[in-house]
Amino acid sequence: MRFLAHRLLLFAAALFGVSVLVFVALRILPGDVAAVMAGTAATPDRIAALRVQFGLDRPLVVQYFDWVGGLLRGDLGTSALTGRAVIAQVGQRAAITFPLIVMSLAVALLIGLPLGCASVLARGRRMRGFLHVLAIVGGAVPALWSGLLLILLFSRGIGLIGLFPSQGFPSEGWHDFGRALASLVLPAVATGVVAGASITRYTRAAVGDVADGGAVDMAMACGMTRTQAVLRVGLRLATPQLVSVAGLTFAQMITGVMVVESLFALPGLGALLIGDVGNRDLIAVQSELFLLAAFFLALGLAIDLIHRALDPRLKATNANGDE
Amino acid sequence: MGVDIRGLNVAIGGRPVVRDVNLSVGDGERVGLIGSSGSGKSMIAKSLLGLLPRGAEASGSAALGGTEAIGAAERTLADLRGRYVGVVFQNPGATLNPVATVMRQVELPLRLHYDLGRDERRDRVMSMLRKVGLDESVAGKYPHELSGGQQQRVGIATALITSPRLIVADEPTTALDSIIQRQIVDLLVSLVDDAGASMLFITHDFSVLARATTRCYVIDDGAVAEEGRTARLLAAPNADATRGLVASARRLTLSAEPMAAEPMTVEQGGAR
Amino acid sequence: MANPSKLANLPRALWRRGSGRYALVVLGLWLAVAAVSLFWTPQPLLATDGYHVWEAPSAAHPLGTDGTGADVLSWLMAGSRTNLVIAALTVVCSGALGLLLVGCMVSRRAGLGSVTVAVVDALISIPTVLIALLLTVPFGASVGVIVGACSIAYGLNLARIARPAAMLAARGDYVASALAGGASGWYAFTRHVVPNIVPVLSVQLTVSAGTSVLAEAGLTYLGVGVGAGVPSWGHSLATSVKFINVFPLTVLWPGLVVTLAVVALNLLGDALNSALAVGGMERREDDGR
Repeated sequence: MRFLAHRLLLFAAALFGVSVLVFVALRILPGDVAAVMAGTAATPDRIAALRVQFGLDRPLVVQYFDWVGGLLRGDLGTSALTGRAVIAQVGQRAAITFPLIVMSLAVALLIGLPLGCASVLARGRRMRGFLHVLAIVGGAVPALWSGLLLILLFSRGIGLIGLFPSQGFPSEGWHDFGRALASLVLPAVATGVVAGASITRYTRAAVGDVADGGAVDMAMACGMTRTQAVLRVGLRLATPQLVSVAGLTFAQMITGVMVVESLFALPGLGALLIGDVGNRDLIAVQSELFLLAAFFLALGLAIDLIHRALDPRLKATNANGDE
Repeated sequence: MGVDIRGLNVAIGGRPVVRDVNLSVGDGERVGLIGSSGSGKSMIAKSLLGLLPRGAEASGSAALGGTEAIGAAERTLADLRGRYVGVVFQNPGATLNPVATVMRQVELPLRLHYDLGRDERRDRVMSMLRKVGLDESVAGKYPHELSGGQQQRVGIATALITSPRLIVADEPTTALDSIIQRQIVDLLVSLVDDAGASMLFITHDFSVLARATTRCYVIDDGAVAEEGRTARLLAAPNADATRGLVASARRLTLSAEPMAAEPMTVEQGGAR
Repeated sequence: MANPSKLANLPRALWRRGSGRYALVVLGLWLAVAAVSLFWTPQPLLATDGYHVWEAPSAAHPLGTDGTGADVLSWLMAGSRTNLVIAALTVVCSGALGLLLVGCMVSRRAGLGSVTVAVVDALISIPTVLIALLLTVPFGASVGVIVGACSIAYGLNLARIARPAAMLAARGDYVASALAGGASGWYAFTRHVVPNIVPVLSVQLTVSAGTSVLAEAGLTYLGVGVGAGVPSWGHSLATSVKFINVFPLTVLWPGLVVTLAVVALNLLGDALNSALAVGGMERREDDGR
């Protein structure tokens, strides 16, 4: 309980810190925000109008608290470019990006966990070496490249045309569930394969560590074969560590997810964010970046809590305890 | 269940660690394997159980009851382990599954080998815990919540839950302090004798061996240096390796407790 | 761990391993090409040839030309320089940040230590690309933004990975006796804590150098990487991608170069790991238990 309270407090503090960082980077460092937003060809009238419209003429502290107050009420501001509420845009785009992230992670785990366990269990030196090299090479491929390869394979040239769509997202969105899902398959595989290669390496390390330990021997002494013991006891013992790793892989995967969104022409959060940064729509960028950062902070929190719940040895220790 | 080892050789990465070992354990007999650490004694037990580390090669013959262990299918040996052969490990803190309760740990061999109902398993675990001198309340606890001595009692309960015919104890007391050591050895001996099972007891400490076994093999550099009744070896060691081990046992016991070499106590079932 | 004789033997120990040999050869090639490209490339970078766009490999253009008629090989060679700079700066900056954070974590001022641990734990899950986007707005897309984003993300990661070893060393007898003997906290840190985390540090930094190459490719494609007109592998990859439908094979070369370099750095990390932990491996083979 004390740990939970401590960790929640830390989460709140981190949210505050990130909001300040985002505000400083986007509203103070660029200088005259209205001029930046208006672009180089803007008239002084246009700049002045923007300044009034977004309250940029008020003191920075007031602007900051105005923004944070809005965030707390669920008001993320309006886009200077489209005039739409930022929250509506984000919600619409997230409906593409989050399923894509979840599918990528699922692909990564489906590849990484079995291959990682296989390389712990493999008897032959050659087999282990092969799986090791496979994981290293797989993890070294840019998501851009794996995505292109899939496009080439599945949408032109090799006779697999039309199996999965490789461009765009159905205009009806998730109402056309089958097509929506199908259009995310190739992008998810493109990032999932690369992330799966790193999960393979982490799994091999984590499971390999416990497989040499006593608990796996004990399970074998009770009547399991080595394979059973590694899969039933070893994998479970490695799980807390793997949850942490999966979380980090997940965070690293986001660059790849944004790349494949663009490559496969999916109108997701990445495209929105990149577009808004390009258009210098600072009001929108500020709220979007904060929201995404908050999401990843929450993810870190969730991983810490799951990690702890999975290991009974940690429950007893103090929140500040240094293992 | 007896053990019959003939001409056993084990090499790890081409380096021999066990050389031409012949050894036998009769039905209901308690036999010791003693040697300094790194002498290869653990590898003898591991090749018998099919628990050799990766990269180890065994040749020769090691029969467990009527089953040849060298070159046997993994499944064959797994079926014997936990059912007819119980294993007690050196360091219970590292071998008990840290994320399983005592209940889950002790009932594991029952789950793997027998088709019992939940209540039946529970009853057996509880009576086993009482037999090893643990309170029933530990059943819901995790290993890290127990003391070292309690952990080893859980280890013994796990090894004995299926009433195996052979117990292999690999340095079961090394991680414990000397008073707990004696309690654990006495417990193990009385449980094994009550069940009429055999025991192969591995240690580097003659004072422990004297309490646990009637006959023993001294292992030095992977080979049998000497064999005979434990009491005789302790009183009149012949081989250099034996003399060294006896001397260090005396040194230890003289400084720790007034046990000295009283091999006779062993025959009286370990009473003080 | 980091005794001088072992460090002196390190290159030989790496060369003995197959993976280490491959890594050293590829990295040597990378360095050599980067150095050569300072003085010479097959074609001048800015030489475009409107009549020969998307050309197949020929004697004049060994890897063909791209959509503006620029020589693919020349751009890749020049790009190796940029990527080398990014990788080197990332290693230096993330290493410095990681050491700074580790230093704060093991600090004897209890408040500083636990605050740093908390900050690292909280921020560890923020993706590199978000940091890059945040930095792009005020500073504009540039090499510096990539280095900054990678250094922050990898530095945090480094601190978290090195923390257990550093804590162990900081609480060891050596540090206690050094402090009792009047040594400063700084002295104890540099002499006793840092040497203990050098193995994990060097392995992790090697892998980070590889990750920076991948990050550069991704960020540049997204438009928040190196500026327009700056040669880099990510730039070559991104320009060829636009015409993937028409000329799929031109994307082969930059992708191959990136993959080879990242594989080399990962293998070097592996080889370093086993070379620096040799003592532990030998002990494990023993039948002590």
